[in-house]
Amino acid sequence: MLRFDRRLLLNFDWVLFVAVLVVALLGLTNIYSATHLYTNMGTPLYLKVLTYYLFGAAIILLIVSIDYRVLLTLNYPLYISMIILLLFALAFGKTIGGAQRWINLGFFRLQPSEPAKLILVITLASYYYRKETGKGFSLLDLAVPALLTGVPFLLIAKQPDLGTGLLLGFIFVSMTLFVKLRWSTLATLLCVGLSAIPIAWKFFLKPYQRQRVATFLNPEHDPLGTGYHIIQSKIAVGSGLIFGKGYMKGTQGQLDFLPERHTDFAFSVWAEEWGFLGSVVLVVCYFFMILWGLNIAISARDKFGVLLAFGVVSLIFWQAFINLAMVMGLLPVVGVPLPLVSYGGSSLLTNLAGLGLLMNIRMRRYMGTS
Amino acid sequence: MAPHPLTKINKIDPAELKMLKKRIDIAMVIIIFCAALLLTRLWYLQIYRGDEYAKLSEINRIRIQEIAAPRGNILDRTGRPIITNRPRFNVVWSREDAPNPDVVIKDLARILNEDISVLLDRIRAATENPRYMPTRLKEDIDWETLVTIENKHLSLPGVRIEVVPSRDYLYGDFASHLVGYLAEISPAELTEKRYAKYQSGDQVGKQGVEKIFEEYLKGEKGRNYLEVDVHGFEQRQMQLQEPYPGNDLHLTLDIDLQRAAEEAMDGRAGAVVVMEVNTGNLLAMCSSPSLHLQEFVGGISTTAWNKLLNDPLNPLLDKTIQGQYPPGSTFKIVTALAAISEGIITPDATYFCGGSLNFGNRRYGCWKKGGHGTVDFQRALIESCDVYFYSVGMRLGVDKIAKYANSLGLGKKTGIELEHEKSGNIPSMAWKQQRYKEKWQDGETLSVAIGQGYVLTTPLQLCRMTAAVVNGGTLYRPQMVQSITAPDGRTLKTFAPINEGKILGSAHSLALIKEALVGVVNSPGGTAKVVKLPDVLIGGKTGTAQVVRLAHVEGMSEKSIPYKYRDHAWFTSYAPAEKPEIAITVLVEHGQHGGSAAGPVARAVYKRYFELKNGKDGEAAEPAPPLAKDEKEE
Repeated sequence: MLRFDRRLLLNFDWVLFVAVLVVALLGLTNIYSATHLYTNMGTPLYLKVLTYYLFGAAIILLIVSIDYRVLLTLNYPLYISMIILLLFALAFGKTIGGAQRWINLGFFRLQPSEPAKLILVITLASYYYRKETGKGFSLLDLAVPALLTGVPFLLIAKQPDLGTGLLLGFIFVSMTLFVKLRWSTLATLLCVGLSAIPIAWKFFLKPYQRQRVATFLNPEHDPLGTGYHIIQSKIAVGSGLIFGKGYMKGTQGQLDFLPERHTDFAFSVWAEEWGFLGSVVLVVCYFFMILWGLNIAISARDKFGVLLAFGVVSLIFWQAFINLAMVMGLLPVVGVPLPLVSYGGSSLLTNLAGLGLLMNIRMRRYMGTS
Repeated sequence: MAPHPLTKINKIDPAELKMLKKRIDIAMVIIIFCAALLLTRLWYLQIYRGDEYAKLSEINRIRIQEIAAPRGNILDRTGRPIITNRPRFNVVWSREDAPNPDVVIKDLARILNEDISVLLDRIRAATENPRYMPTRLKEDIDWETLVTIENKHLSLPGVRIEVVPSRDYLYGDFASHLVGYLAEISPAELTEKRYAKYQSGDQVGKQGVEKIFEEYLKGEKGRNYLEVDVHGFEQRQMQLQEPYPGNDLHLTLDIDLQRAAEEAMDGRAGAVVVMEVNTGNLLAMCSSPSLHLQEFVGGISTTAWNKLLNDPLNPLLDKTIQGQYPPGSTFKIVTALAAISEGIITPDATYFCGGSLNFGNRRYGCWKKGGHGTVDFQRALIESCDVYFYSVGMRLGVDKIAKYANSLGLGKKTGIELEHEKSGNIPSMAWKQQRYKEKWQDGETLSVAIGQGYVLTTPLQLCRMTAAVVNGGTLYRPQMVQSITAPDGRTLKTFAPINEGKILGSAHSLALIKEALVGVVNSPGGTAKVVKLPDVLIGGKTGTAQVVRLAHVEGMSEKSIPYKYRDHAWFTSYAPAEKPEIAITVLVEHGQHGGSAAGPVARAVYKRYFELKNGKDGEAAEPAPPLAKDEKEE
């Protein structure tokens, strides 16, 4: 059995813990402002978020108390349960906003595509750890990880949830580039990737998704339809000026002009109410947390730890970057939440579990091989 | 330290670590670059172009207002409208325009003639809604109130009038159980998949065809794009997307026949079903007493609802498909069909009815205490002799009777496209064993043979059975919709007759039964002579269904029996006898006698049907006019 080493406590990652706590508190403050007018089945939404955090704290505690290396044996069972959950969501899931994403557990509505992101990170880290690199991966070597990514990608894109699907792609690309690739492989992939874009545009994207990209390129063309989100979000962010309109005083958010303001557009509410200064504080805290994650990757005791930490960092980084760029009008609206800030239980718990893994790896950096 | 299962994982190789470190450095650069990009963008939006956006947030706001679509009309078989739409005026209060309701609520309560607490309750119930979403304070106000509010609108900040299309019932409570009603969608319904596109406050069909054909009737909502200022006041309309009306539903019902049936029932509890024998189309479906549909518009009050629940005439029950009654002597059609087809009896064989039959240690009485004397098959059916059918039933056995009853569509749902249809019950030996874990008693077969005991049927089942017996033996599924048409006149869907197969029984036996049924109405001694019409030959069968064991009411005069213990009266019939067109089944709850209580109802509907068909009576051939306005409101 696992014996708890006193060194683990001494090596606990207080820096990451405090960084997460700060971001979470800012996020919670913001959720309160965005949702205090709403309740869900009688429970105010911010209270629900609070319970998710308590639940998340328990998950972190559980994760840090078990050596992350057990994931090397658990990765495929986890992967298979994820595929089953995704299939289940497609077959029996609840439809919200036209997409089948949810499994109702009674007390909690699980969105299986959220844990799927983290499980993919674990799966790829295990695979790349086991696979001898030698001179670098050839195209053929990539077939298995590509397949491991492709299955959940298709299941999620089918829901349809292109944002989460693309995120899986970003994670795959980041982690694959991180392990060694042959130059020839990289070159071939680049060519294939570039030529795939027009084909995907024509055959894979649904009309509304194409519309979103077109709108992104020219939002003023359709101010009432698909351009509405981008325009209203930019107005919200921009009108915050230096000091913001004041907490709970943002007109865009409070008067309902901003859509999805507690989920995907939560940062717009923040930027409107706290202005440039508040936004800089949040972004800096956020990126500090991400960069610290890279620091954890460097200091990990084994290669699996490095890969896993890097994967979790890429998961959180890509979500954050895509979301922030989206609400600022730099990317099309794709429906990716901002970890720890956007409302959503599945997303919050997944990201907290990822951060728990980082703490786990950090704590065990000096553990010997005995 | 104990050997760890994970110790095979080696520490990182320094050479590889160096390489990975290099890549992490690259990642760090990329991440810092992205952060810088985001911060620059924030600076650009909030500082460089901040004033511009601040101004936009002051003046340029777009709000999308939904406009309800007019619901599809419901028409009768000849295309006459039964239910259409009219504008309805609701008083709404917008929190955003006037954050404090106390100022106006007092005045408003007086104008609306409502208690202040009622209005405050509604405001409180809506606190969860977005603030700009207006709260409905009162639905469907009259013209006078509307004018008063419009005149005083300056002193009533935040109070507005909302115009929504609402149902207009041109014929009042016409076929109320079948058409159903509309009401605001409930929180429970909002979670259902079929209502995925609905929002709270939307009207939705709650019952009958309004619910079943909701998808066709509802139409597409329109959208009003409004520009509003920082306080939420509307500045101008930017774009209007007109709503698209719902599709029209053409029922198979005939306004005149339905009204004739409803008038003939005259508020008595019961049901009338009129069916085309060769298609299964329903020309009238009347469950009496009817529901007052106007009460349901805008939500029924609790008092009215409780009154309906406690009414002894049970108006909430759709008696045509949910009322399950013993069929009484109308069931002798089934017993007769089985007996002749199975060769148990010949039409000429006679049997002596002395007023009762002794079986086991019980005496089974005939309804005619003195007995019918010697009867053959025809007389037995015409005069509805119980003793004759006891003896026939005894020889058939319950399972044979059940086999024929099932083939006539009894004991199972007819499959009509209405909700909550009941299946009735046809007993058999296996059924009793399964249900009561008891052996079938032969004496019980006697009760079954005359439609008592465990036998239960709905009026719709009996009507369909009658149609099948007289149309040559084909069972059709009952239908109440002919077609659905789009607002531009295109036909979206038509409903062809659905043939459910042939019934058991020889053509010879069917012919004999039809002959006897004509005798019931037209020959001396027949139990339904009151139904007889001068120019048309009608055939039919009466029935009286016992509600309680005879012993409870033995010796009481008919009038002194309490209402709830009185027998149910049945009459099931068809016409014209030579070439059957329609079948009519009437049930009058606690009406005591099939012939005298249920018969005249059928007669009135036949009269109307043939008047309209022959068009000879000018006045009657005129389509029934819609109700006058004041008559309807009442």
